Amino acid sequence: MIVESKDWKPKIVAFLCNWCSYAGADLAGTSRIQYPPTVRVIRVPCSGRINPFFILASLQHGVDGVLISGCHPGECHYLTGNYSARRKFVLLKSLLEHTGLEEGRIQFSWVSASEGVKFAKVIAEVTEKVKALGPAKKLVKSKT
Amino acid sequence: MPELTNKIREVARDLLQQKKVDLVIGFARGTTPMCSTPCFVRQDGEVNGLIWDSFCENNLAKYLVKRSDKIAIIAKGCDARAVVELIKENQISRDQVVIIGVPCQGMVDRGMVRSALEGNEIQEVEEKDDRLIIKGKNFEKVLNRNEFLHPSCKVCTHRNPVIYDILVGDTVKELDTEPYLDVAEFEALTPEEREEYFSKEFAKCIRCYACRNACPLCYCQECFVDCSKPQWIGKTTEASDTAIFHIMRAFHLAGRCVECGACERACPMGVDIRKLNRKLTKDVKERFDYEAGLNLEEVAPLSTFKPDDAEEFILHP
Amino acid sequence: MTNSDNENLTPIPAEGKVGAVMVVGAGVSGIQASLDLANSGFKVYLVDKGPAIGGKMSQLDKTFPTNDCSMCILSPKFIECATNPNISIITGAQIDSIDGEAGNFRVTLLQEPRYVDVDKCTACGTCAEYCPVNILDVYNEKLATLKCIHIHLPQAVPAASVVDPAQCLFTKRKACQICVLVCKNKAIDFHQQERKMEVEVGSVILAPGYEAFEPQLQSQYGYPKLSNVVTSLEFERILSASGPYRGELLRPSDRKHPKKIAWIQCVGSRDTTCDNTYCSAVCCMYAIKQVILSKEHNSELEAVILHNDIRAYGKGFERYYERAQNTPGVRFIWSKVSILKETPETKNVVLRYRVNGTEVKDEEFDLVVLSIGLTSTDGHRQLANKLSVGTNQYGFCESPGFSPTETSRSGIYACGVFHAPMDIPDSVTMASGAASLASQLLSDQRGTLIEEKEYPSERNVTREPPRVGVFICHCGTNIARVVDIPKVVEYAKRLDGVVHTEENLFSCSIDSVTHMAETIREKGLNRVVVSACTPRTHEPLFQDALRSAGINPYLFEMANIREQCSWVHTRDGEIATRKAQDLVRMAVAKASLLKPLYQLPYDITYAGLVIGSGIAGMVSALTMANQGFKVYLVEKDKELGGIARRIQNTIEGRDVQTYLQKLIQKVHKNPLIEVHTEANIVDFSGYVGNFTTKIAEGAERKVKEIAHGVTIVATGAEEFKPAEYLYGQDPRVLTSLELEEELAKNSEKFKDCHSLVMIQCVGSRDSERPYCSRVCCSLAIKNALKLKEINPEMEIYLLYRDMRTYAFREDYYREAADKEVKFIRYDVDDKPEVEVVTENDQSILRVTVTDPTLGQRLMVDADIVSLSTASVPSTDNKELSQLLKVPLNEDNFFMEAHMKLRPVDFATDGIFMCGLAHSPKFIDESITQAQAAASRAITILAQKTMKASGAICVTDKWKCTGCGVCQEVCPFSAIEVEAKEKVAVVNEALCKGCGVCASSCRSSALDIGGVSDQQTLTLIQAL
Repeated sequence: MIVESKDWKPKIVAFLCNWCSYAGADLAGTSRIQYPPTVRVIRVPCSGRINPFFILASLQHGVDGVLISGCHPGECHYLTGNYSARRKFVLLKSLLEHTGLEEGRIQFSWVSASEGVKFAKVIAEVTEKVKALGPAKKLVKSKT
Repeated sequence: MPELTNKIREVARDLLQQKKVDLVIGFARGTTPMCSTPCFVRQDGEVNGLIWDSFCENNLAKYLVKRSDKIAIIAKGCDARAVVELIKENQISRDQVVIIGVPCQGMVDRGMVRSALEGNEIQEVEEKDDRLIIKGKNFEKVLNRNEFLHPSCKVCTHRNPVIYDILVGDTVKELDTEPYLDVAEFEALTPEEREEYFSKEFAKCIRCYACRNACPLCYCQECFVDCSKPQWIGKTTEASDTAIFHIMRAFHLAGRCVECGACERACPMGVDIRKLNRKLTKDVKERFDYEAGLNLEEVAPLSTFKPDDAEEFILHP
Repeated sequence: MTNSDNENLTPIPAEGKVGAVMVVGAGVSGIQASLDLANSGFKVYLVDKGPAIGGKMSQLDKTFPTNDCSMCILSPKFIECATNPNISIITGAQIDSIDGEAGNFRVTLLQEPRYVDVDKCTACGTCAEYCPVNILDVYNEKLATLKCIHIHLPQAVPAASVVDPAQCLFTKRKACQICVLVCKNKAIDFHQQERKMEVEVGSVILAPGYEAFEPQLQSQYGYPKLSNVVTSLEFERILSASGPYRGELLRPSDRKHPKKIAWIQCVGSRDTTCDNTYCSAVCCMYAIKQVILSKEHNSELEAVILHNDIRAYGKGFERYYERAQNTPGVRFIWSKVSILKETPETKNVVLRYRVNGTEVKDEEFDLVVLSIGLTSTDGHRQLANKLSVGTNQYGFCESPGFSPTETSRSGIYACGVFHAPMDIPDSVTMASGAASLASQLLSDQRGTLIEEKEYPSERNVTREPPRVGVFICHCGTNIARVVDIPKVVEYAKRLDGVVHTEENLFSCSIDSVTHMAETIREKGLNRVVVSACTPRTHEPLFQDALRSAGINPYLFEMANIREQCSWVHTRDGEIATRKAQDLVRMAVAKASLLKPLYQLPYDITYAGLVIGSGIAGMVSALTMANQGFKVYLVEKDKELGGIARRIQNTIEGRDVQTYLQKLIQKVHKNPLIEVHTEANIVDFSGYVGNFTTKIAEGAERKVKEIAHGVTIVATGAEEFKPAEYLYGQDPRVLTSLELEEELAKNSEKFKDCHSLVMIQCVGSRDSERPYCSRVCCSLAIKNALKLKEINPEMEIYLLYRDMRTYAFREDYYREAADKEVKFIRYDVDDKPEVEVVTENDQSILRVTVTDPTLGQRLMVDADIVSLSTASVPSTDNKELSQLLKVPLNEDNFFMEAHMKLRPVDFATDGIFMCGLAHSPKFIDESITQAQAAASRAITILAQKTMKASGAICVTDKWKCTGCGVCQEVCPFSAIEVEAKEKVAVVNEALCKGCGVCASSCRSSALDIGGVSDQQTLTLIQAL
């Protein structure tokens, strides 16, 4: 077993929809709610914009976790983008885990513009889960 | 089987004579035993080249795309399902194709037959009911065909064409096996075991794309593996490149795969490709109550949604 | 704005009317009216007495019946207001006086000092951190505290601090001033004084909203003495994620989770012991919402609503009510209630109420919510007086005629709760309606006072290698205190493509932005990265700098190192600095790949199509035609008028037929309105700005093609003809509309009528039509009052489930009760029975019903039975919805884009709805909605050209296989597969750039400008 160095901090990419979850992250900021510094945000117009390849490319690049967050069902700025996304992601997540990807490497949440506290909690929880899994190895491109 | 062959020829002859179609796509005898091969008949005089036996394994729907002529196609259950998907995806119009449905008893895996014969050269194969009578130099062996079906045929639940214009032969009884038992068994393994299994499988892959080329529903002008703008994945056989190729190939068939098994049969390296597709097929059925290629009206599962789709996977901290 | 006194904000026009409008009150209705007008070519002064726009809606947690987060849907409108160059937001101000007349008013405003220069303040919040004075947080209903200098709410517009002068140490006793010292941008200015402003406008729209009823005025509620008795508005804040308890459902006394909550309805409403005898119209629904949300917080919670009829009369409300009723642990109890006592040890509250009419029950609760009503204040009356605008006895604005948006003074219009208690969609609708009247009044001045900023022509940068400029903001100390800015600057210098870096104290201050534009020009930058705060608020500002410098505004990227870095990783500067470097690296990597995007202009057909010629259709047609636009009015019947042809009077006594005839005449006389009767739509195509419709007309079905830029659906509704209660079998059983017609035709006949029974909810609120038809209760009361007028001795029994005489209609309900109309409440599971019995050779129409207060069967022999039947959607709706590709809801009424904030818009741009096609409603509400639909339509017709968004979908024809998945997933019907070529074609006018298509395309044949696949992959690789 590989013993991780104690100061290993996971690197997590978060794809946030512009209208709800990114705004929720902003509110976490304006409310000064502290959360782990593990996340790098990529802003997309809608959770429906997220191509499954974005997730796979992130994993291949070596991120330790992927978070996708959009508007709550029924609140999508683009009416139904999050519903389309939800179907796509559940299948992709299931398929990846079928091939042995650890549950918890990719996570999905709904965070609204008023849920700054929830955003921080989501980040904390994703970080904890990913930390428990250790550094990503599966689907990571070998650097040769 | 000879009766079916005769009926197929009759139907093909009528269609061509009455100029209802320009082309009939069916099967012809191959150059070696157990190798029936796709065949394109344009003249009514050529219809006697058409046959039907236990080795008509190819999914002929593959040949329907990017054509403008009027076509009749010999369709097993899985071929008909592929035709339905192609119609739904605008790759062929319904009135452009005459579907000659043929109920299927499952196709025989010649590889399995050959290995059962331990290297003896086969010169002739005769079929009687469920028996395969294999003849070679100095030997004759009788096998039960049902024990030699392709893996995809063993779990097939739609042997009868779901859509057809002309049905040749009597409908057959569908298998009443528990569906997706194979998937459930694999799901029961630990993630580590599954990962190990797939790592070994993917390691065999030489990225020849025969699986993609055989799939009746892979018709993109440019496949994502060839795409350079953007370059989604590397073109190497590095483990993650190969794994992502297989994962995304399967994902692109989510809710579309008709389970014909063409991909797996085409693979020269014996990669267990269907293990990915079957998982998605099961998920799609269980989550969205959808099976590909059964209905022209039903919207594909990834083209629609229900507001109350299950979302137990959403994180609620 | 500068601080000079008495400045004149508007140049006086040479002659005639002024193309500017003042909107008083910046709640959701004021905001909507302002946006409609500014987008229709008028200058708008949006005035509010508070420090920020948003009104009461900004305090709400969620909204019924969709549970949408209130601020989430409202704050984009804030930003729209803030960035619209034609809206001047004036906060802290009230009207002092007004002169002039319709078309040309001179308004004097009094603005109180804010002590903060709004133009200089960047809302960084440093002042509040240092301010030593804690005050009660008004936004949080005083359940929390904040600093004396503070930002009113997190998303405040204007985004600037404000000083509470009553509590500030400096304003009180010239001490402190620490805020002045710590403000790096010198935005705090204690020299500010109250100032007068004079504004010239052509029209005024009044949207001052309401104040919540103060329950302390009535001692029986124990408020605020009992700490666990809260108002519903306080409870909203408690529920809110940005509220005092950060979204945790706690009670005030001990900050523990309440397990049992009671809602007391009608506090300060329908109450003859205070002046508010009217119904506040929204409390039933918000209480239901609060119940549902509380149950979401804690599924074990016990919730009790003590009410006097649940008034779930709006679109989708009845289903919402049912949902609450079917939730375990939720009880609706129809009873009066009193607060008995507080249990001293637990601070629980004991309530006393009645069950089954007689039995008295005491029950203890952890928390009691008072569903407080909506009231007008002295301030509202004073405002009305200053403007010489008439009010009713309750201080709400009164409209003299059929149109509620009109006031007694020409040129001054009203909307929102100032007119009457109403919910958000009705307020938004009315706001648009009021805007359309102002726009109509001033239509010849459209475009005269609006500004269009001039920009230099754009430099073509596509062939240049990336030359990225990185501007890194300290945000005063907000970022710099945590993130080591010089280190980030050094890091940015070494990144590929970066040719310029600099740090700013405030990148968003005016001098920084001007300097940025100069730097872009001088250094030939072709990509700009600002590393500062959130692009959601600041992107437009910086993009404008790019345009001013002559490069495409889309060549811009932000790294959010404040909200995502310094503010959330405050304790570890090193980590925050490293993350800031990562974010800058990512932004630079993406910026290098950015391409110019263009908003392609296209021409508009300046005409409207109105489908349906009831009152709603005609009003919307006239509202557009009166502003100079051609209108095609298509009616399937021979005559105009719709269902209003059968209605005689409104409950207020207004003569509908005279109004209708005048309206029909106006339509026929208007040269711009082309009427097509006996006509229906057979084909519909096109997109916003350019639709083509084919109609088949007359007996010979002659087909005519109409080109138009906007479409309004006003197809009305029909009267439900029941199969129960002997309707159609016994001539003595009528629908209430038939009764009304009979009353008009032959009132004499009712003089001999001794006994009449009215049955409510016939065909409404049942399993087949689980919606309330909204108008039937008032219609029955109207008929009952008329009958009592004809024959005061007549026995009238009104059998009802919940009387839904909302707002001021409550007064007529009370009048009917005073005149001894007998109201008997029945249960849906125990419906009244109507039968014919023969006694003494006479055929008797007998009605039997259970009297709930006595628990006995009551038998009435009636001369006439009147059935209040449902309003049902037009049978043509289905076909029309398919032709127009617009959705119907589950009851087959047309479905709006957004229940709350886009009540008359369809999701498809350029198509609107009004009247009964939307849902059942009263005539005045239909008129308002028709004006609103016209207002929304005119925001399109007022444009010189339409502009498609820049960041939209582009297709690669070669890659596309025409499989159609994009067409199926597109929420806006913006993609169609061209059948011949088998390629997806994007309608740029409809595409919103959400990208659902691109992520669904297996061939990568679709991509989205500004978030392309390649750009996103690059971002991932730069992680």
